[in-house]
Amino acid sequence: MPASSQADKLLVQRVRSGDEEAWNELIARFEGRLLAFVESRTRQRARAEDVVQETFIGFLTSLPNYDSRRSLEGYLFSIAAHKLTDQLRREGRRPTLPLSPGTSSGASSWEPRGRDRPASSILRSGERRHLEENALAAAIREQIVQWQRRGDWEKVRAAELLFVRGWANRDVAARLGISEQTVANHKFEFIAKLRSAVRRQGLPEEVFPELYADSPDAGRQDDDR
Amino acid sequence: MIHRFPQAALEAYLDEALPAEDMARIEKALRDEPKLAHELAALNARRDAGLHSLGAIWRRHRLSCPSREQLGSYLLGTLSREMADYVEFHVQMAGCRCCQANLADLEAHQAEADEIVQSRRRKYFQSSAGYLRRRRR
Repeated sequence: MPASSQADKLLVQRVRSGDEEAWNELIARFEGRLLAFVESRTRQRARAEDVVQETFIGFLTSLPNYDSRRSLEGYLFSIAAHKLTDQLRREGRRPTLPLSPGTSSGASSWEPRGRDRPASSILRSGERRHLEENALAAAIREQIVQWQRRGDWEKVRAAELLFVRGWANRDVAARLGISEQTVANHKFEFIAKLRSAVRRQGLPEEVFPELYADSPDAGRQDDDR
Repeated sequence: MIHRFPQAALEAYLDEALPAEDMARIEKALRDEPKLAHELAALNARRDAGLHSLGAIWRRHRLSCPSREQLGSYLLGTLSREMADYVEFHVQMAGCRCCQANLADLEAHQAEADEIVQSRRRKYFQSSAGYLRRRRR
């Protein structure tokens, strides 16, 4: 999935200049997928439409801060996710979380980004985190593309289940119909590639705990492919 | 009953990124088990402290998501076999919520398009059927 396409960038540029036709076009292009995203949770069309409406309003109000290098669709989905979270919390379906472990401030509502931290602190650490995240995303993308080009779909699938779904090796092995050792080898290869990218780019190891959690759980073994 | 959710699933929950049924499962567990709320709060604190997780980065950047065009081709049955298999895996087993939404939207468009086609055919039929009956006399 590429970052924002040229067509999206132009569309956003027109919206920024107040072009109503462009805004109408943006709504037409994205409302269906946003509605499907929200409705899968609300199960009610009218409420889902309200959330999508708030999403579009949220997009316009946050437009001055939108970085057009970022995927437009991804940005809209993230706003929709926030608006949906708010809606579900209002309905009492999404329980409020304590702000930090050990506290139980039921009165404070949860937000994905720490709202009560000083703006300067968020901005400073946000910039650094953004760079680290982009560097690791590029390394993961490079590995996925390489596997896809080689037709190593099994490795893409295994890495996705291990790291995106968080499944254990044995569950991945069972679902993909391969041995646990093969899963462990795929994991080893993936982590080794990412560690190398972290080293090459001089990123701090401690901010990627999964990469250094323990020694890789397998070396390359006989059934490595 | 104590629920054990992988950390990656809890992170995805915080981002409203799990498939709807998994989101509901965690919400139910949150109501039943106060400890889970603290586990989630700890994850938030880790994020605030600047720690990254591979799954969150993968998801946020949509690193393995098929393009919308590929999803459309999948519905039309014109993708290569291996890519079509991957799309199925990504949407169903990996449970990518954004791709599920895109696919549902494309399917809805397809259904709407079918309705338009059906309505056009009905119009052709209704406007011409009289001529057919005349020929049979």
